[in-house]
Amino acid sequence: MAALDDVSLSCPAGTWTAIMGPSGSGKSTLLHCAAGLDQVTSGRVLLAGRDITRAPDSTLTELRRRTIGFVFQSFNLISSLTAEQNVAFPSKLAGVRVSKKDVRQTLAGVGLADRATHKPRELSGGQQQRVAIARAMISRPAVLFADEPTGALDSHSAKVVLELLRTMVRTVGQSIVMVTHDPAVAASADTVVFLADGRLVDRVDSPTVHDVAERLAKLES
Amino acid sequence: MFQLSFSTFRERWELFVGAILSVGVGVALVQASMLVLVATGTPQIPPGMSRQTEDKIREGFVAAATVMGMTAFLAMFLAVFIVSSTFGFTVAQRRRDLALLRLTGGSRTQLRVLLLSESLLLGLVGSVLGVPFGLIAKYAQTWLLVEIGLLPDGFTAPWRLWAVIVSGVVGVGVAVAGVFTASLRAARILPLEALRETGKAAAVMTVSRWFFGVSAGACTIAMVLWAQGANLIGAMMAALGVSMSGAVAMSLLSPLVVPLTAWLVPGSTLARANLRDGVRRSAATASPLIVLVALLLGLAGTFGSLSAAGGEEAKRSVNAHLVVTSSGEEAERLAGIEGVAVASRQNTVDITITSARKSFYAGIVAVDAADYARTHTLAPVWGDLSALTGATVFTGPALHADRIAPGQVLSAEAGGAPLQLTVVGGLPETLEMGDSFLVPRQALPRQVWAGAPTETVVQVADGQSPAAVAGRIEELGFSVRTVAEWASARAENAQDGNVKILTVLMGLAGLYALMAVVNSVVIAGTERRREFAVFRATGLTRPQVVRTAVVEAIAVAVIGVLLGCLVAGAGLAGIGGAVRKAIGTTVVYVPWTLLTIVAVGSVVIVAVTSALTAAVATKK
Repeated sequence: MAALDDVSLSCPAGTWTAIMGPSGSGKSTLLHCAAGLDQVTSGRVLLAGRDITRAPDSTLTELRRRTIGFVFQSFNLISSLTAEQNVAFPSKLAGVRVSKKDVRQTLAGVGLADRATHKPRELSGGQQQRVAIARAMISRPAVLFADEPTGALDSHSAKVVLELLRTMVRTVGQSIVMVTHDPAVAASADTVVFLADGRLVDRVDSPTVHDVAERLAKLES
Repeated sequence: MFQLSFSTFRERWELFVGAILSVGVGVALVQASMLVLVATGTPQIPPGMSRQTEDKIREGFVAAATVMGMTAFLAMFLAVFIVSSTFGFTVAQRRRDLALLRLTGGSRTQLRVLLLSESLLLGLVGSVLGVPFGLIAKYAQTWLLVEIGLLPDGFTAPWRLWAVIVSGVVGVGVAVAGVFTASLRAARILPLEALRETGKAAAVMTVSRWFFGVSAGACTIAMVLWAQGANLIGAMMAALGVSMSGAVAMSLLSPLVVPLTAWLVPGSTLARANLRDGVRRSAATASPLIVLVALLLGLAGTFGSLSAAGGEEAKRSVNAHLVVTSSGEEAERLAGIEGVAVASRQNTVDITITSARKSFYAGIVAVDAADYARTHTLAPVWGDLSALTGATVFTGPALHADRIAPGQVLSAEAGGAPLQLTVVGGLPETLEMGDSFLVPRQALPRQVWAGAPTETVVQVADGQSPAAVAGRIEELGFSVRTVAEWASARAENAQDGNVKILTVLMGLAGLYALMAVVNSVVIAGTERRREFAVFRATGLTRPQVVRTAVVEAIAVAVIGVLLGCLVAGAGLAGIGGAVRKAIGTTVVYVPWTLLTIVAVGSVVIVAVTSALTAAVATKK
């Protein structure tokens, strides 16, 4: 059985797309393929205008540095670095100098101005996720991939994070592709697509929580 | 990159502390061995010694230099081995962190650079630690070498700056070399692995692991086969090579065997399952044990076998029944005792023989050629014992390699009188060092041999019982042994010296390997905090969790010891073959006592360490 079958999806610049579906429907695989972390066996993957279907590791590394960013459920910070070091690190890898001011400003933008020198383990889950978002924001990537970004957060922190994501789409014109199983989270997106058994089965634009929950319930029944 | 290396270092120091200490101890041993080695180059001989004693002290210095050279070499080998095994383990433990670097835009090269700069840091810190450690190691080695009698009292090795610099460079080199393969492996980690919560663990038996494991194994087998036809020096080198390459092969291939140990564990389902599952962890614990056991038993067995073979050869080279020790004067009476057919008196005389290059004082034996020929079977390589009369001399086994030419005239000095001795023959090399010269007794003034320590080899007349003759000789106040007793005493004597040398050589290296064992057990234990918590949550009591961890650790230790024994056995098979070629019979010495001590000791240490770490890791 194929993990993804006959899926065709485009996420235009400056839009926020949520991918939903029951467990095992292929949500995460779709996200990984779109981000170039996994390879498709047939078909094509285009990312920010480039065909990455069979791109070599060096091209994908370059893309990860400049064009795309990631935010995940498990915050994925480097535990030995402070918040500001974590934020600045990808730019360092790319050989781009970022000023301390920029880093502080970005952290202030996610409400963590006073936590810059803390290590991840000294931060709450919500704070760690905001550091991860700040890290994704600083290089102004064209596309941000998010996998259950609020999955490990309490409802207040979740709200803060969703607002941050919305700001990124609105002000910088980034695209966001987000996997979630929470209808309330999915409803923050511009478009919600539904996957079942590796196929795209439904799509809602400008969704409400009610719309999403109803369709998801239908899929799972 | 260096910033990240540095902060990773500070953050996860417990992962690195073992590797740092390994480098530090390696640097210390190399540095100390070099200092002692250089100091032995100019023997400090206390004044007022006899020539024989001086010679003996000089020999001791040479032996000490050899031991130190081997220690430095072994220390380097162990350091590379231990650093690469602990570092390989830490890379496995940090897989997610490293994948995360790839996810946030790190290239493969950057990952390699990261790990290599970590290794550089490791090497530098280790080398800095190695300097004070080296001073301690220097005192320890000097003390041991003096204690076992290789070096005279009051020997000191002065501190030299260059030794510190060289060993520091060695330390950094060892760290970088040890980390190199781990860095290649790390570069292959996929960014996606950062996202897999449960994801499949990396395959333990990677292609390179297979490749290097099988190559080292093939090398080991080739050396064992080659040793069968080699001379004894070759076989000894092969035995050392077998211990090293065999240990590498076994520790690389150990993940194949470790899961099988699950069958060793009675009852405990959980411990069994963990053994099958935590292959990587188990292999990391087993490999320093394999090296420890393989080197310790392999070398002890090799040295032991060679001395046992030497004893065997000595026994076969004597065609007689009894060996009597006395002074030269007293030995005169032996020939007249009833039942004695031949009494070949061998006086170890204090004379000097000077060849073109050097003077000899030790191992010069006065004989009566006819008696000697009747009681000894070792055929000369050239010349005939019957020619050994008047002012002549035979070269002994010890000087076989010196190639003293036939017909050469050597000047000698016996009891104040000068002599000119013509070389009329030479005996072949033997496993034991043997005598350096045989001189006809008639050529020497009586006072030279009369007081000399003498061994008389006695052949009993046909129809007489050796025991009865021995009784008669003993009644006259002599000390008598059978040839077999005499030969095994010689072997034991030689073995005694070997044990002393091994103590210095392996004592430090053994402690070192043990440190690595403890280190990997500790890393394994602390990294399992979460797993232990799950066990507790499932309803296991704390003692049950600790017991499970201990059972697992013991099973791993047992397999490590067994695999090490396998390697040591392979080394002995090589030596056995070489001995058969040399003396016509296979003599192999298995160091049972050492085996028991090492096996019990390492199992106990592993058990205690794992119990302690598990207890700490399950503490609230």
